[in-house]
Amino acid sequence: MTMGQSEGTWSITTRVIVYAAIGAALYAVFNFLSFGIAVPWSNEVSVRPHYGLLTFFGFAFGPIVGFLTGFVGNALGDQLSNYGLFTSWQWSVANGLVGLICGLFPAWMASRMTTVGSRAVTGAVAGVVATVIGFLFIFVELITQQELGFNAILTTEYIPVIIVNSIAAAIVTPILILAWEPLREQLGR
Amino acid sequence: MRASFSFLGRGSWLARRDPRVPILAGLFFVLAVTQLRDARQLALVLGLVLIYYATAGIAWRSVRLRWAYLLVVIGIFAFFNTLLTGGRTGTFSNAETHVLLTIPPFGTEISAEGVSLMLSQILRFAGIAAVSFPMAYAIAPGDFGVALRRLGVGDRIAVMVELTVRFIPTLAGEFVETIDAQRVRGYDPTARGGGPITRLRRLAPIFVPVTVGSIAGAEDTIDAMDLRGFGVGRRTWSHELHFGAADWAIVAIFASFLVLATYLNLSGHSQHYLLPFLVSD
Repeated sequence: MTMGQSEGTWSITTRVIVYAAIGAALYAVFNFLSFGIAVPWSNEVSVRPHYGLLTFFGFAFGPIVGFLTGFVGNALGDQLSNYGLFTSWQWSVANGLVGLICGLFPAWMASRMTTVGSRAVTGAVAGVVATVIGFLFIFVELITQQELGFNAILTTEYIPVIIVNSIAAAIVTPILILAWEPLREQLGR
Repeated sequence: MRASFSFLGRGSWLARRDPRVPILAGLFFVLAVTQLRDARQLALVLGLVLIYYATAGIAWRSVRLRWAYLLVVIGIFAFFNTLLTGGRTGTFSNAETHVLLTIPPFGTEISAEGVSLMLSQILRFAGIAAVSFPMAYAIAPGDFGVALRRLGVGDRIAVMVELTVRFIPTLAGEFVETIDAQRVRGYDPTARGGGPITRLRRLAPIFVPVTVGSIAGAEDTIDAMDLRGFGVGRRTWSHELHFGAADWAIVAIFASFLVLATYLNLSGHSQHYLLPFLVSD
């Protein structure tokens, strides 16, 4: 227990702040390095393995950590790449929402996560569902960039992004959960 | 491998301003420019905002590739949008389009409306980049936390951002060390064989130790903060910020622009502009 602070799902404790800072820093660093794995059946779409960090941090440490990891990590990743915080602000919010939604799953599915294996599977499912829902936010471009049509956003942004990010979330999230769980028990968290 | 914030604008007129100025200017500008559609207005705004950009003293040779990359990406994206919408969106949603070119085999149309929309999109994005680049280059990395706090963001979130900025170079260093350590054990980070899923799983020896090691190491930071009573009272910041007359003037200019853009939007004075030379018949 952190000094003088409660540990509820929505509390911003010292632990939440530090985990969010670690998550955001890792996400920003990997975004900056931006190495992707090309998908053979597509032209310019690549899977970003570090996307699984976002879903993992949300799932393992809760919605606040998840949101801050995605939002701050993506914004600072842009800043680190020298494009500035606001250049793609809608993508930062979308990333934040993915982390937030992922963080809600452990509370919703607590009764089904009795073993480490079931936690890993739930984490993978949470990552995919959160990706599909969270990135709906980019349709805000229908308002902020009125030149864009719905079909253009759907086919050139939303669908490619959720396909590659879902692949990354479904694979990397459970790997990280399986690695983290024994350590979590050892640390007594 | 180096992952740290560039402060290329160090010593420039804008970098000497309060760090809240570039953040507020960027925020007001993004809110304002997303309300404008007329390419003539957007071109004028871009011209004016480039004056602001010049005050950040960013050397052209350092950013020319970033500008080129951004403009090419947004250009390609805007072009695809033109192909997909045929120019029937925004102000031209229900208008008769002027087809300039039909591309076989599907008869995809490039219309005067589509080209006009593309121009508005590119000008808007270039404007956003022109206020965002100074944010990246003209704010000292150590000033982010205190700037956010003074802008009204909660103490804890401001500290979180400050911690993130401080963790970035450390974690980038750990990432490099982990790759080197795994390489000594026979891991080949450049191996190309297998499909994307196999290659994703092959990255586990890098991702897992860096991530789990960072989280485990965070316990020391948490303990140190708790021992210093973090979060139990009002936090004080050692770095004082002062808003000078020039700072107020810049913020007032951008705030006025936001008010003007909102007026133009709500009064219908910023509709998409059809480039006349494309429909000169």
